[in-house]
Amino acid sequence: MRNSGIVATLAGLALALTACGSDAGDDGTTTLTINVFGDNFSLPDNRALYDEYEKAHKGIKIVENRSDFGTHHQNLQARLTAGSGAADIELIEVGQVSGFIGQTDKFVNFKDESVDTTQWTDAIVQRASSADGGTLIGLPTDIGGLAMCYRTDLFAQAGLPTTRDEVSALWPTWEQYVEVGKQFTGTVADVKWFDAGGHVFTGILGNEEETYYNADGDLIVEDNKVVKDAWDLTVDAIKAGQSAALAEFSPEWNTGFQQGQFATITCPAWMMGYIQGNAPDTKGKWDIAKIPGGSGNWGGSYVTVPSQGKNIDASVELAKWLTAPEQNIKLFKSIGNFPSQSSTWSSTEVADFTSEFFSGAPAGTIYPESLENAPSQVVGPQSGVIGNTFAGALNSVEQGTDPNEAWDSAMEDIKAAAGEG
Amino acid sequence: MTAQLQDRGAPVDPDRRPAVSRRQAWRSRLYRWDLKGSPYLYIFPFFGLFAVFGLFPLVYTAVISTTAWSPRKPGSEDVSVGLDNYGKLLADDNFHNALINTFGIGIVSTVPQLLLALGIAHLLNYKLRGRLFLRMGVLVPYITSVAAVALIFNQIFARDFGLLNWFLQPFVENPIDWRAEKWASWLAVSAMVTWHWTGYNALIYLAAMQTIPYELYESASIDGASRWQQFWHITIPSLRPTIIFTVIVSTIGALQLFAEPFLFDTTRNNNGGPQREFQTVVLYLYQQFWTNGRYGYGAAIAWTLFLVTVVIALVNFLLVRRIRSADD
Amino acid sequence: MARRRAPDAGRFGTYAILFAIIVFSIFPLYWSIVVSSRDQSAIGSYPPPLVPGGSLWDNLSAAFEQGNFGLALTNSVIVAGTITVAVVFTSTLAGFAFAKLAFRGRNGLFTAVVATMLVPTQLAIIPLYIMVTQWFGWSNDLRGVIVPALVSAFGVFFMRQYLSSAMPTELLEAGRVDGASTLRIYWNVVLPIARPGAAVLGLLTFITYWNDLFWPLILLNTQNPTVQVAIANTASGIEVDYSLVLAGTVIATFPMLIVFLLLGRQIIGGIMQGAVKG
Repeated sequence: MRNSGIVATLAGLALALTACGSDAGDDGTTTLTINVFGDNFSLPDNRALYDEYEKAHKGIKIVENRSDFGTHHQNLQARLTAGSGAADIELIEVGQVSGFIGQTDKFVNFKDESVDTTQWTDAIVQRASSADGGTLIGLPTDIGGLAMCYRTDLFAQAGLPTTRDEVSALWPTWEQYVEVGKQFTGTVADVKWFDAGGHVFTGILGNEEETYYNADGDLIVEDNKVVKDAWDLTVDAIKAGQSAALAEFSPEWNTGFQQGQFATITCPAWMMGYIQGNAPDTKGKWDIAKIPGGSGNWGGSYVTVPSQGKNIDASVELAKWLTAPEQNIKLFKSIGNFPSQSSTWSSTEVADFTSEFFSGAPAGTIYPESLENAPSQVVGPQSGVIGNTFAGALNSVEQGTDPNEAWDSAMEDIKAAAGEG
Repeated sequence: MTAQLQDRGAPVDPDRRPAVSRRQAWRSRLYRWDLKGSPYLYIFPFFGLFAVFGLFPLVYTAVISTTAWSPRKPGSEDVSVGLDNYGKLLADDNFHNALINTFGIGIVSTVPQLLLALGIAHLLNYKLRGRLFLRMGVLVPYITSVAAVALIFNQIFARDFGLLNWFLQPFVENPIDWRAEKWASWLAVSAMVTWHWTGYNALIYLAAMQTIPYELYESASIDGASRWQQFWHITIPSLRPTIIFTVIVSTIGALQLFAEPFLFDTTRNNNGGPQREFQTVVLYLYQQFWTNGRYGYGAAIAWTLFLVTVVIALVNFLLVRRIRSADD
Repeated sequence: MARRRAPDAGRFGTYAILFAIIVFSIFPLYWSIVVSSRDQSAIGSYPPPLVPGGSLWDNLSAAFEQGNFGLALTNSVIVAGTITVAVVFTSTLAGFAFAKLAFRGRNGLFTAVVATMLVPTQLAIIPLYIMVTQWFGWSNDLRGVIVPALVSAFGVFFMRQYLSSAMPTELLEAGRVDGASTLRIYWNVVLPIARPGAAVLGLLTFITYWNDLFWPLILLNTQNPTVQVAIANTASGIEVDYSLVLAGTVIATFPMLIVFLLLGRQIIGGIMQGAVKG
């Protein structure tokens, strides 16, 4: 029979390939695997940082795996639970890191690896540390200090000021930001004030110390006035037609940048890289102003070394190198990820950095300012899940769901998730 | 074979009788063993591997479902909560919502899909030129992977610059947000499922139609029955077993619908739309399990769904038996 | 069946409707080619482009490079190929036993086979993951994708139905009278008869595992992906270029299209045959 013959041939070939493809040659090189999401350490076609390390460390080969945010963190959890399969180095995003704090035995403790933790602020170190502070599971890479990116061309069309100082002066507070939004709305056809309510909400809460959990680790989100106020203000803005209602990291959101569907966006440092990569044609149309409220943090990651790995020492060394100030500065200049070491902020390389793409905005001074004012935020095991729940709930308000209903169902979801998580 | 032939041809030597009979006894025992034992040997690879990779994980999942296990809380895997997870699940609005979505999307995708398939099969059953081409044409979606289908349909169903909303522009005031409105999202997910499976089902119906004797149609048309009457009174009744088969398969497939809604939620937080508009049971399970790290609860959802599936399959089965016996 | 006369297509209308349906069937694939032949601004332009642009080849090779598709295609051939051979073998064996051999517990066990079709794979993934990676050490390893899939309840069911009707019981009895062992009967009598059904099962299995995403997505990574994992990952970077994403889907679908064009007659015949026998 013809086709079963073909199938058999394919399978025979397949088996032969499995047999010869499984083992790489053992010539004394150590291969270190690193699992990342998004843009960490390299742009898709650029592994300059890895090449540099390999050149300086003979016998080390670095292999990177990149997957999407959700899959990356889910797979990491599965691999930790199973006790095998994790990469030598795994990246964890700041919103997710709290979910891994309880599993300190599954990671290398950087407290034992002679790392100088004073190079970071307490807040940054604390987030990746066990409650007693005895264990540090990850080294900080970048930090998502907040600013507000805005489209100068659209501001001009709306008759708003366009220079960054004037624009910063428009919105010392988030209430004023929403007020300016009311002026803007309707002046430019098909352009909204901001991309998504969830990002305004994140920005507002960036000024608060206790949001979802208190310092004792209790879930306080339901009765926390600052959370409800942030929600109400965001809902106001949505009701006033200011939101383009683009779910974050969706294809719609991506096209939103390219098509200029919104005039402002809550803009952590890494967002600069995102905008540049995603909408290269908008070069020169963006600028960066101060964030309302003056401070905040969104995003940033930690480099961890799962203890199940076989090359712990080499991995720890690479992790330290990747998160060292020199490398962080290089990344800042190429993709916008802002260095987490406060010592670097005053270096001329950072402080004098201006972004051509963003009309020459002095990114090197805007971000440190926002970070120096930022409170040390308390996070709990399900902070990441809670943040996602709010983003979804606000998105549903944008689609017309009654805000009270959306709030109630968000609370249900949060309590269910936090009850066990 | 040669040994057997020699054996059979050899003259019977009376002196060797005891030996032969011992040998015969051995052979007949072997034969009996072959007869009784070998079937088990043949089904063993299936049941052996299934026991290891299917049954064992399922039982293990049942054990997990009685714990408060969350990997985010060390030691929680040993905390037994009895049937609490199941109790919570029955009172969980999101689970109810997921069930409704699952059944809703199931109906919206299965019914039109099977009706369309019937219609296409009927058309393909005519004497046509380029038969192979036509059949291959309707089957193209079947060989396309769900991942590819979803990536393509994600663009077609995009709210702001999607192809479909462009076509609909003259008819609707505001562009439809295919992910944020319940009916729209059900339609979009169902469209993916329908696109993928209609051709396959059409071919199954076509095969069954071809077994209907042509004489039935001939005599009907002599009696003056119209084409529609012929379809209704001859084709459909003859296809009944096949239709039942496809309904059962599609129902079970619909209960386990996952890939399409998973990929359609481009935020990848597995919420199935901002207000869980198209979150199916398996997607909810996946979210609780993976995204929220609730292993115990997720395992309880898994088992509940399994039981629901079994119940529905049993109902299907009984209905079919009833229809069959009514036929006789 | 061959002598049955089909009713004539009455009208031009039949062709028109069928043609429209085929356009619908093919359009999404056509559109993926349109998008992957343009740059990424095509996605955000209104009206959307409906004819291919000039950069199909560039995008295909860029996506091929970025998505590690060379390895991905090889891996998918290995995975789907090995599973296909194993499923056909184990299913034919068990299907023969269930169809033609009498043994205690046959009906109960066959019901069990049918019942296992109700177990969706997503349900038991954590235990499965622990087993495959911790016990067998197959994380990021194709064996972890292949081994759990080596048997198929559907396959057993399919081959049982096929052999029940395709193989006359007299053949089995004749073999018995000749004193042939069951294994010999299987080899000399059953397998030749089972071949058309086995070929169909093989094709369906191959298509299923070529297109499988979820288990591979959890177990494998971008360094060692199957085709579906590779296309899921092209959409996962921070800057997502949809011309490249859809170019990835074109690359992933193309080999199946080729197989389909070559073996379309058999695949169609198989599905239809399976339907009647099943």
